[in-house]
Amino acid sequence: MTQPIVALEKPPSPGAPHRAELPLPVERTLANGMRVIAFPQRSAPKAYAVPIIAAQLIVRGGASAETEAEAGLATLTTSLVTQGTATRSAVEFAQAVDGLGARLDAASGYDAATVSVTALSHVFPAALALFDEVVRRPSFPQAEVERVRAKAIGDLALSYSSPSALARFVAQRVAFGSAPYGHPVAGTAETLATLDRERIVAFHARYFRPDNATLIVGGDCSPDEAFALIERQFGDWQAPASPLPVPASFTAPPARRRVVIVDKPDAGRTALIAGRVGIARRAQSYPAGVVTTAVLSGYSGRLNQEVRVKRGLSYGAGAQLIARREPGLFLASTLVDHTKVDEAVKVVLETLHGLAATAPEAAELVTRKATISGGFSRSIETIDGVAGVLGELALYGMPLSELAAYLPEIEAVDPEMVQRFAAATFDELFVVLVGDASVFGEAIRATYPDVTTIPLDKLDLGQPTAMKV
Amino acid sequence: MSLFPTQGKTQRPPRIRQILTSTASGAGIAVAPIDFTDRTLPNGLRVLLVEDHRVPSVSINVGYRVGGKDDPPGRSGFAHLFEHLMFKGTKNTRPETIDRLTEDIGGLNNAFTADDITNYYEVVPSNYLETLLWAEADRLGSLAVIEEHFHTERDVVIGEYDQRILAEPYGMLDELVNRESFAVHPYRRGVIGDPENLRAATLDDVVAFHRTFYRPDNAVLVVVGDLDPVQTNAWIDKYFGRVPKPAAPIPRVTSVEPPQTAERTYTYRAANVPLPAVEYAYHIPEWRHPDAPALDIVETLLGMGKSSRLYQSLVYTQRVATSAHASADLREQPGLFSLRAIASTGTPIEAVRTALDAEIARLHDELPASAEMDRVRTQIASSLVRSRQTYNNIAVALVRSAIERDDPGALNSDLDRYRAVTEADVQRVARRYLTPENRTTIEYLPL
Repeated sequence: MTQPIVALEKPPSPGAPHRAELPLPVERTLANGMRVIAFPQRSAPKAYAVPIIAAQLIVRGGASAETEAEAGLATLTTSLVTQGTATRSAVEFAQAVDGLGARLDAASGYDAATVSVTALSHVFPAALALFDEVVRRPSFPQAEVERVRAKAIGDLALSYSSPSALARFVAQRVAFGSAPYGHPVAGTAETLATLDRERIVAFHARYFRPDNATLIVGGDCSPDEAFALIERQFGDWQAPASPLPVPASFTAPPARRRVVIVDKPDAGRTALIAGRVGIARRAQSYPAGVVTTAVLSGYSGRLNQEVRVKRGLSYGAGAQLIARREPGLFLASTLVDHTKVDEAVKVVLETLHGLAATAPEAAELVTRKATISGGFSRSIETIDGVAGVLGELALYGMPLSELAAYLPEIEAVDPEMVQRFAAATFDELFVVLVGDASVFGEAIRATYPDVTTIPLDKLDLGQPTAMKV
Repeated sequence: MSLFPTQGKTQRPPRIRQILTSTASGAGIAVAPIDFTDRTLPNGLRVLLVEDHRVPSVSINVGYRVGGKDDPPGRSGFAHLFEHLMFKGTKNTRPETIDRLTEDIGGLNNAFTADDITNYYEVVPSNYLETLLWAEADRLGSLAVIEEHFHTERDVVIGEYDQRILAEPYGMLDELVNRESFAVHPYRRGVIGDPENLRAATLDDVVAFHRTFYRPDNAVLVVVGDLDPVQTNAWIDKYFGRVPKPAAPIPRVTSVEPPQTAERTYTYRAANVPLPAVEYAYHIPEWRHPDAPALDIVETLLGMGKSSRLYQSLVYTQRVATSAHASADLREQPGLFSLRAIASTGTPIEAVRTALDAEIARLHDELPASAEMDRVRTQIASSLVRSRQTYNNIAVALVRSAIERDDPGALNSDLDRYRAVTEADVQRVARRYLTPENRTTIEYLPL
């Protein structure tokens, strides 16, 4: 067999994109202040319906509500809510969930904690009662606090050993300093060690209250059925008399062109991040930001083309736009050989600046937008996937109609909007390098004016400067 | 079944409502059947289509009736190596074309090789369906791999062996279980194969393998999702219909594993064994066999989650094991039911075996309580129903059912079959299959 020189036949071209059939969410607020959003199973002709109901509770006040000294408290509290309740030990609770064939998880981010449950319709009321136990009556047994905390500290050590993970932690500090998105969401070994049961109980009591929560429920039940069920389960949940905690607005430190090197001599390769503070989820320019990021990301995105395909500097490169309640990070990242760091930094920055200087061709946007709509379609295939999208909209105060409006907004992004977003964002970029600085440090210092080098033993992510004091 | 049986169902097609109300018996679980069309092209390709418009995407699966058991003599692992080569270009395309045609438009693609099947799949926005049908037909009809790509991919596959079998703790145990449980059947070779055999493979083997097994009459094409059946069938006729059906017969595994009459026990020691492990592997019938649902129920009862018997007894109460699993590995031809437990620190492997033996004896001696059976049915139904939420899961289920039990429609009666399994059935299959003389025992110990 031989490789053809001329292809005999080309793949057929795509047809026009089809529109998504999206469920129409409806909402109500219970007397206790809890916002409830219900969505029915899709009823389009030929839509396969499964007898599953999913619910997700969003509790505002995640890691951004912590002080520096208690970094990791929101994450630790959330991972403990499933580890024992007023009436069940951790194992008994797991067995009860399991016995219903249900899934019940809790997770936390910077802006909120999320508790979610999925079960077959006929056992959903029982699963919802277990969900309620986790939300309202976790017992935080001392032994589980110790166990979960020890595991969290162990997991941190593991993530610090990865140059890519470490570079992200450092990038957050470089971008946000002491602002609420600056400290690591999982805390540090030092802060975790000081977080005792009282603080965890207090954190839970402060934020887990009905008037601070949104519950999304949907699947194999009508919105009216869902509202009735939620009212029955959560109607008697009383908000405390204490004032509702209001998330504080904040401003990140001004962006500045600088390079921060973490010298990690044992790193196999160097993790490279170029970034800066970007936009909030509510920003008008969010769709343009998503399309810009897609132009840069994926195998055929510009970063991977320049870094990997054309120059072989890495196995892959891409970008990420993290949009939260307040502006989050824009990141371009790759992992390169220590000897190629200098060239890779140059290529990554040039690629970003190139998009800021010249608007992309409309044809380039067509396939890049397809990556967005393809990914979005898959994310809403499942019931808990739809709940997740609605939960994010609710958390960030977006209208729920955005579920249906999102893809048309993406389609409406034109080349000039991409260029405008790139020009506004890809200026004053910082660069973080985590790797063997003895190989590349000198070249970087010779090229860039503002370079800080942190030896690994001087790194402290508990400090706004990421350096031990 | 719905929470509130009558409200809110008015928009559903009557067929589903009928099912929702026809389940007075059983644990109250019902799921609508997957409504598929089934036809066979003149060249032998079987085509299954499911039309569903929840989201604007489609899943395309092409399953070939060839797996690890069909590896050519002296070429153990070849079916899996070949799966990798199917991404390495055709007469019309360059290597990695399938990746570009999927990832670049927000889709995904992958493939897997099992004992009886090699399955290729893509999930793409529905307006790209024709493009991907063309690409799948193209690699069925005109695969063209060059020497250089063959060598690099062979190294990748051998690297996978090093990673999954040698470096992974207990990675070799799966291989040993197959090798020692089957005396004559080629299931004994597993899927991942033998690096020496792979090193001996040549590009001529690739050509011969493609010619032998990659033919329309040895494949099942499944498309699920946002599709127009008339248009889709026309594209399938156009692109797949022109692939000729070879005249040569397809070689099939005909060897039959003789019944085992006495327990076989082996002890292996290896470097990457953090804690001693033991595995019991019992011969069981093929997936099509009427006892298969009861064996699935036994698997769930013993091994699924923290409410299962093995977890409760070995891990939680007696603390002799750090983990304990059960698996009904049902295949196209008779497979294995296995129990695996990893000892807790300081526990001798004999104590773990004693605890496992007690659980087997309990199955033989006592009927499970009806509350436990209800729990098990709910668990098994939950995982089945949950898996029906995505187009690709439905497609993979159809492909597997079509190839591994020769009946794609069987997946629509699985829930009923589980519901029909009685307490007495559990005891009966345990007594029939989970016996010492039908067992291969492997103790896998640190050096």
